[in-house]
Amino acid sequence: MADYAPVDLTAEGQVEFELNGRRVSAPAGTMLVDAAYALGVEVPIFCYEPRLGAPIGACRMCLVEIEGMRGLQTACSTPVQPDMVVRTNSDIAKDGQDGVLEFLLENHPLDCPVCDKGGECPLQDRTFRFGPGRTRFVEAKRHFPKPLDLSSVIALDRERCISCYRCVRFSQDVAEDKALVMQERGAAAEIATLTGDQYEGRFTGNVIDICPVGALTSIPYRFTARPWDVTNTPSICGHDATGTNVELTLREGHVARVTARPEPNYAVEEGWLSDLSRFAYEGNRAPDRLTAPLIRDDGRVKEASLDDAVDAAALVLGRGGRVGILVGPTATVEEGFLAQELARTALGGARIQRLGIPGAGLDAIRSQPRAELGDIDGAGLVVIVGGDPPNQQSIVELRVRKARRRGAAVITVGPRPHALEPVGTAVRSEPGRLAAAIAALDLPEAASTIVLWDEADLAAEPDAAGALARIVGDRGASQIELGADVNGAGLRALGLGAGDVLEAAAAGEIDTLLTIHADPLDGPGAADWGWALGRVRARIAIAAYASAVTDASTVVIPAATHYETDGVYVSMTGRAQRLRPGATAPAGAAPGWELLIALAHRLGAPPPYRSAARAFAAAAAARPALAGLDYDVIGVLGAPVAAVTPVSPNGVNGPREAAGTGLPLVTTTRIFGNAAAHRSEALASVRTGAELVLNPAEGERLGIADGARARLRSPHGECILAVRLAADHPAGAAFATTGVPGAGVERLLPADRGPVNVEIEAP
Amino acid sequence: MGLDDSLKGFAITFRQMLRKPETIGYPERKTPVFPRFRGRHRLWTHDNGLEKCVGCSLCVAACPADCIRVVAEENTPENRVSSGERYARIYEINMARCIFCGYCEVACPFDAITLENEYEMSERTRGDLLYTKDMLLAPHPKPVPVRSEVP
Repeated sequence: MADYAPVDLTAEGQVEFELNGRRVSAPAGTMLVDAAYALGVEVPIFCYEPRLGAPIGACRMCLVEIEGMRGLQTACSTPVQPDMVVRTNSDIAKDGQDGVLEFLLENHPLDCPVCDKGGECPLQDRTFRFGPGRTRFVEAKRHFPKPLDLSSVIALDRERCISCYRCVRFSQDVAEDKALVMQERGAAAEIATLTGDQYEGRFTGNVIDICPVGALTSIPYRFTARPWDVTNTPSICGHDATGTNVELTLREGHVARVTARPEPNYAVEEGWLSDLSRFAYEGNRAPDRLTAPLIRDDGRVKEASLDDAVDAAALVLGRGGRVGILVGPTATVEEGFLAQELARTALGGARIQRLGIPGAGLDAIRSQPRAELGDIDGAGLVVIVGGDPPNQQSIVELRVRKARRRGAAVITVGPRPHALEPVGTAVRSEPGRLAAAIAALDLPEAASTIVLWDEADLAAEPDAAGALARIVGDRGASQIELGADVNGAGLRALGLGAGDVLEAAAAGEIDTLLTIHADPLDGPGAADWGWALGRVRARIAIAAYASAVTDASTVVIPAATHYETDGVYVSMTGRAQRLRPGATAPAGAAPGWELLIALAHRLGAPPPYRSAARAFAAAAAARPALAGLDYDVIGVLGAPVAAVTPVSPNGVNGPREAAGTGLPLVTTTRIFGNAAAHRSEALASVRTGAELVLNPAEGERLGIADGARARLRSPHGECILAVRLAADHPAGAAFATTGVPGAGVERLLPADRGPVNVEIEAP
Repeated sequence: MGLDDSLKGFAITFRQMLRKPETIGYPERKTPVFPRFRGRHRLWTHDNGLEKCVGCSLCVAACPADCIRVVAEENTPENRVSSGERYARIYEINMARCIFCGYCEVACPFDAITLENEYEMSERTRGDLLYTKDMLLAPHPKPVPVRSEVP
């Protein structure tokens, strides 16, 4: 892991000091370990982790000799001082390091051959490099039964723990879930949850990454591979819009685990992953994964080879008739662009749209200055408008908590309660009346303000988007979009709209529909889409997972998932980042960009490129938003796409009135409630289903008890949900969980996720 | 070349005719190998029947020919295979690749793998040269004679 903080040796305010007889300089306030590391001297550490906040000097590994100070000093908690004389390799410093390592290893079981950390273990590495090489300890070692399940995904081996407090500090100071503590003292000290329950939360897996020994290990990864069995590939998380940088560990063609990168992207996730990003990889081989191409002919389904399936698809697409192309939210920029090219050249005049939120009124706020997630750290005021970032864009939560710890004021405005509300001042808006709540906001003065706004909530209330844009503009603030779709920003950068195909299909103007990673029957407007799809004569699906759409398609071509394909995702903050193929796609599947190029060849309009890199270069040349980008420019850490052309926030309409009668529907999301979490066995014990949450007063009014089931009916469709009565949810609204596969809450919504009212009754 | 040289040659030939032949009738008879001759691998079990191998893959790391594949799994009370927490569910050596360097034996922290003296491993297909854990746990069916270390 990134053990040492990055140090800018060219910054202003350098302090000169002597390190191992060398005259050097580092910025004032830099900790000695970081300065030394930047200057090429490694001081061994275990407990030091700059991302966990102030150093605590718990492990004593970083002892160095400083002239004029009595005894040895911990370099991790000593800032550089002018003219200090530091020796890290003198006899006395070496003696200190040897002593500490010998002490740490006294009770360490040295079961490295069976330990999952073996081979990538800081304790192992530093014992080899700095240790005394022998121990004087001959007594019996401490023994605990092992391993203990700290949660369903984390195994705790107490014997191996060196009491560095990293995991405790993560839980207390970073995730702030206050769950992990150190119990007992001395040799009996052990990590445990305060309550004795399982350690559950949105970010628990990070303690596996930061543990410098094998005390906390991943249960899904347990005994799966050793570091020399695997290759690690830097990639991007494809489960939310944050563009979290991850590293895929691959063994024998499969994703064996997902971890934070050793060199985190400080502008994005800073090395912290949500448990969804970390453990959803098991769904890559879920039973509903499509592995063989299918061709349906007169009701008979037959498996085909990839070549035959592409031929069949080209035959259907090429036989004339009006074609519609639907690009799903997980499609890469390349896939979106190739679909556009297919529509433009081979299928002249085909209609194409992305599946997502149209958000016509959002350009006013989108065109305001953008910030990166990393900028939240230093903000003086953080305003969160709408949404539920802890559940939808999880790592944003850690950034906001960090900003709050650094003294930022946090204000949340929105119709639904969420985990960041207690962090600051919470303003509860009435459903559909965000604009009024924003207008009534009394924002304190702050040197820098960052406004985070929810795409779906503001798309439903364009007047609120305009009001917010004015506030951002007036204050000179910057904004971060809390995007709903994984690659929504990337598909928007290509100029893909979000309404064309649905209208045309509903009007009977589409004969053949090609869906690319798109499942309109499981998203907002499912009912409208169902009707529109019924009017389409032939359907062709390029998809990774089986769905109602693939079940009804004439030709189904399995596609590679984001773990298996080259491509570019643009994060919600406008950062283009590369997916790198790690795992091998099933034999009967291929990356979407390959399939689309093959289709174009079969349709007689071969594009002049044959690789994802060249396809992206072509997209960058053709679309102003991607101008100047290619795979090399994007590199490992990504590059920003062009900003949205400024749009005046004035002249916005009043609130959109909700369709239907009854209670206004407020959609909620649960981090472990989506299809990705439901596919992953590792998340089985934390995954959640859909529910309808009502204020107890509403429950009484409607005659619905806690735990009962209720039927929800909107002008678009209906569904049945379990009811939970909760006093923290305001009266006057119905809160229903979206995103849960099979629950059907999306059927209540219009395709553009606009406001809607629902009638609730006992079924 | 004169008559002298021809006679010398014939003399050698006649001398050898009366000696015992150096060749031996392999495969009916085999040349004894030295005890430290590195032949086919063998995986060992403890006296209580548990496998010594814990599936740590250190042999894989040490192997310069990349011919070993280990897939580990956790021991459970119902299925206890080795004495540690983990065991090798799959342990394969590709004998077509192995160069019999013995590094795996040196790397093994549990003395679970050793190189024995057997060398008769020819097969009719390459696939048969992939030795599985069951094959490696059993003694080789074709033992070879061993000679004493010091002549």
